[in-house]
Amino acid sequence: MSSETKQILTTDGIPLEVSLKKAERKNKIKAFLLVAPLLLFLLITYIFPIGDMLMRSVDDKMVTEMLPKTFKSMEKWDGNEMPPEEVFESFYLDFQKLVEEKRDGKLSTQLNYTKNGFKSILKKLRRKAKNFEEGNYKEQIMDVHKRWANVEYWRAIKRRAPAYTSSKYLKGMDMYKNEEGKIVNVEEDRRIHRILWLRTLEIAFFVTLLCFLMAYPIAHLLATLPMKYSNLLMICVLLPFWTSLLVRTASWMILLQQQGVVNDFFVMIGLVPDDNRPEMMYNKTGTYVAMTQILLPFMVLPLYSVMKTISPSLMRAGKSLGGTPFVTFWKVYFPLTIPGIGAGCLLVFILAIGYYITPALVGGASGTLISNQIAFHMKSTLDWSFASAMGLMLLAGVLAIYWIYNKLVGIDNIKLG
Amino acid sequence: MKKLSKLLLVLTFALSISSSAFAVTVASWGGAYTESQKLGYGDPTAKKLGVPINWVDYSGGLSEIKAQKEAGKITWDIIDVFAMDTITGCDEGLFVEFDFDKDFPAAPDGTSASKDFFAPMPSKCAVGNILYSWNYAYNTSNVKGTPKTIKDFFNTKKFPGKRAIYKSALTNLEIALAADGIKPGKGGSKIYKALETEKGVNRAMNKIKELCTDPNGGCVFWSAGAQPPELLVSGEVVMATGWNGRFFNAEIGEGAPIKQVWDGQGLDYEYFVLVKGGPNEADAKKALAEMTSTEGLAGSAKYIAYAPWRKSSLKVMAKGEPWYKDGKTNMVPQMPTAPANTKNYFLVDPLFWADNGTELGEKWEAMKAGL
Repeated sequence: MSSETKQILTTDGIPLEVSLKKAERKNKIKAFLLVAPLLLFLLITYIFPIGDMLMRSVDDKMVTEMLPKTFKSMEKWDGNEMPPEEVFESFYLDFQKLVEEKRDGKLSTQLNYTKNGFKSILKKLRRKAKNFEEGNYKEQIMDVHKRWANVEYWRAIKRRAPAYTSSKYLKGMDMYKNEEGKIVNVEEDRRIHRILWLRTLEIAFFVTLLCFLMAYPIAHLLATLPMKYSNLLMICVLLPFWTSLLVRTASWMILLQQQGVVNDFFVMIGLVPDDNRPEMMYNKTGTYVAMTQILLPFMVLPLYSVMKTISPSLMRAGKSLGGTPFVTFWKVYFPLTIPGIGAGCLLVFILAIGYYITPALVGGASGTLISNQIAFHMKSTLDWSFASAMGLMLLAGVLAIYWIYNKLVGIDNIKLG
Repeated sequence: MKKLSKLLLVLTFALSISSSAFAVTVASWGGAYTESQKLGYGDPTAKKLGVPINWVDYSGGLSEIKAQKEAGKITWDIIDVFAMDTITGCDEGLFVEFDFDKDFPAAPDGTSASKDFFAPMPSKCAVGNILYSWNYAYNTSNVKGTPKTIKDFFNTKKFPGKRAIYKSALTNLEIALAADGIKPGKGGSKIYKALETEKGVNRAMNKIKELCTDPNGGCVFWSAGAQPPELLVSGEVVMATGWNGRFFNAEIGEGAPIKQVWDGQGLDYEYFVLVKGGPNEADAKKALAEMTSTEGLAGSAKYIAYAPWRKSSLKVMAKGEPWYKDGKTNMVPQMPTAPANTKNYFLVDPLFWADNGTELGEKWEAMKAGL
């Protein structure tokens, strides 16, 4: 049978299929227009800034454009010995042009990111370069400051030659690309970022675990108690939620410090001697306690919303089939709460991984996390490309965890409320 | 009634637009500090010039003004910044460069502005505002004897107990070297010379490490300015480095049992900068000259224990003692720049920190991670 014989026409002679498609298209456009504002909003506030961050973290055109002659003459230089006169001369010419355009400050900031110590020697060079005589620039520049005679600084300049670079990401892992193009570690006493990444993950992990252990019984109680009690309990859960973060952090400091309320109480009941009070603040313990309390509602609420929907009759059915309370809990109740656990753990983990105010205040020597470093480069050094790179690494970490979660539990199994 | 309220709404809107067009906007740190600026020289200047001055709070750093500039909508005229930020911002072309003696008035006795200010400016875009001190204080009820020198801060045998120090390397390395026997020299130049070398940095780090791992000592790292007096008063630590204005408030304002030690203090600075292409640059420049005049700077010391940048302002204060707003406290002895307090001090070197801050910060964190 050919398709022509099967074709059904509408009353005005258009094939039904076409007519249906037309109507459907209209609906599709309508639906799209309905979500368009949200899409646009997401695009402007989310996708675009992340794209911008990505660009910033790899884009190094600015320095490439600032020192065109220098980089050209450096192509032949292998980076082992001091560069030849030719490099010095072209650097001098590039630099003089930047001084004229008043852009030498920007160059000094940029080079200082690659290697510390450039700021002052470029300032000094600007002052001295006014009186330079023609020729023999190598000697004249090396006379300005002893660092100019240090080959390390010239290698650092060479490293800025490519227009696009992965150096910021390497720096986030305490590594850099050396002259031979090999990726090597920075000096041992400066390897801090790896410590910070691990510390951030460790704290986020344990805070999530502690939150889960504490929130599960609370949420269960909330879901099973009669309305009038559970409402009261709910307010108790939410009340701290409405209090300022700093106030809550400061309260923990007052409670937990060595001369604090909790320690005073321990001494009073004779649990610990007065001259040997335990340290519960300004270390990781303080961070765990304060952050767990602050993030607890984010775990309780998704758990509660899932538990509320579990019918009590399921547990009864389990028991009537001969299960002990533990078996019925483990085989029936617990699996049903997994969507809530997933949602809560993801929420708390993602929030915890970006926390920095609380750890900075209560964490003592271990209070610096990777987000402190990001904030430092955003605010003080203005190295936004490095901050972007670290931000994206953090984002990649979160996405990786999301991916693992999806593999293990399945993302459809998530329930936020 | 409805019409009237509409009219009022339109009027207030129009008023807010017109007033913001004439006003000069100053971004500063907020709290008691901005209050002292507003009462000390902001309001008198606004009255004199007939230009309203708006004070807005910010939390430091250059990210906001850089973002304003990149977005093409600058809303601040003047910003109160740290020395490092004047250097970075000047290099980035965010701020106006000054012709110092022409843009700022001379002292009443005719001394030119550049000579009247306590130290040279770190960049062409900066004009000094206040000097504050990184000194240390102790709790008089917990410490037996009287600590007098910076060495005593590190002396856990004579003065056992925990110390509170700042969470970053800034000023900690300097006091460590000063306590380890390096004479600061004029303005602390010898300390910074030592810190230029690997050996000097390690020496300073070891000194701090020693203090923090000492069973008789130990460290608490503070990050907010309110913490040091609080840690002292609660007895959590026996000595704490901190900002002298905070100690002053606890000691004089609240009568807490703490006492400040000025030996080995680090003088640090606040500056004003003029934003290039700000909404009201011309008026802002006039206002800035007025606010940083001898009388203007002396005015803020009435309300807070930070020292005016101009030496001539101290004379105005000495003549007007008791200068503090409570009407009974002499302010000159509380000033970080007073002769009695500057026998052994260093000037925090912003250029050194602009140069080496990141790498030293990494070393510092690595040292802390090993505690």
